[in-house]
Amino acid sequence: MKSANRELVDRLAAEYVLGTLRYRARRRFERWLLSPQVGAIVKAWEERLAGLEPNLTPVDPPAEVWRGIENKLELRKIRRRPVTRWMAIAASLLFFVAVGVFFTRPVAPPITGTSLLAADAQTIYWRVEVLGDREELTVHVQNVYDLPQGKAHELWALPEGGAPVSLGLMPHMGDRRVVLTAAQRTALANSKQIAVSLEPEGGSPTGAPTGPVLLVAPLAKA
Amino acid sequence: MDRTDTLPPDIELARLLQRCAASDTAAFRSLYDKTSPILFARLLRMLRRRSVAEEVLQDVFVRIWQRASQFEAHRGHALAWMVTIARYCAIDLMRRERMTLVSDDAIAEIPDETAQDATGFEKPDNFDHCIGKLNDNTRKCLTLAFVEGRSHDEIARLTTNPLGSVKSWIRRGLLSLKECLSTARQTT
Repeated sequence: MKSANRELVDRLAAEYVLGTLRYRARRRFERWLLSPQVGAIVKAWEERLAGLEPNLTPVDPPAEVWRGIENKLELRKIRRRPVTRWMAIAASLLFFVAVGVFFTRPVAPPITGTSLLAADAQTIYWRVEVLGDREELTVHVQNVYDLPQGKAHELWALPEGGAPVSLGLMPHMGDRRVVLTAAQRTALANSKQIAVSLEPEGGSPTGAPTGPVLLVAPLAKA
Repeated sequence: MDRTDTLPPDIELARLLQRCAASDTAAFRSLYDKTSPILFARLLRMLRRRSVAEEVLQDVFVRIWQRASQFEAHRGHALAWMVTIARYCAIDLMRRERMTLVSDDAIAEIPDETAQDATGFEKPDNFDHCIGKLNDNTRKCLTLAFVEGRSHDEIARLTTNPLGSVKSWIRRGLLSLKECLSTARQTT
């Protein structure tokens, strides 16, 4: 990095961490965060400014907050539950006999499909990976797609002969892992394409795309 | 809830995060019980409206779950990592919605600062010395921005100073702080 660039990045990183960048400048700066060099500069500022962190009296949040988190992440549907050691041994013996396949399944499912949501070959906004038997998706931000105030980007499976099925909201920095429901998996299995639409904040209120479709991309087998 | 008045050591939170990365929902619940009151207080301090802070707290924990695998135990502290996620979620919302200060009755809910070091955030070496070297105006601006999430415009209004002065105090204050902390580190 040139020294003039470095100074600019350092100044922006400091104000990014402090929180004083305006919304658009914040989003633009996050595009740079994909670079490990910029990431390290931000991390250094996070460590420096941690000294300003106040000691606050904790406040218990209401129980609805946890229920909301459970619903958003569909935690009740996640099957890989923790098991105590003896249960693990007992279960493993049982499964070993019953379904030997279980053991061969790696902890992180392999990538079985990919899709590049792009305006053109040079401008890829999101890379979507399908994991395992469509159990999960990982969405990686490659370039930040401008987002108007109060809006969100939503990802859709486009099953052939059926209505689009939401796969959740798109991240604007870093990456996001999405655990898919049975309905989403079925929709994805029948889709050759996925799409991103512009929706109100929080996602489409109707369950179908309501805003313009911004990007459509084929879903390729990995 | 099994929250106790003092937080468990950071290493325990780091272990819980690692288990979250392996989709362990019980570990996630335990992490939530132990840390949500701290994060909720931090969000209330910035967002001031309870209903908004509750919504953002949900998003914060959704992100913590989704990004647990990105937490690098050897490179940072678990609680600091989670508080940073909370701060950024609140700031994103405040900047996007251009949220401003609300009426005084809502401000009554802001959690107090305690003398007790309940959260145990790690300050860089010589932080108190370096922040003490800044002038009062600069320190006030940095605190309003970092602790309360205030924008340049709001800080100018709250402190009745010209916007240009606020911006340059902040810029110079950050530089001085960086220089002082790096000098302090070299000499210790």
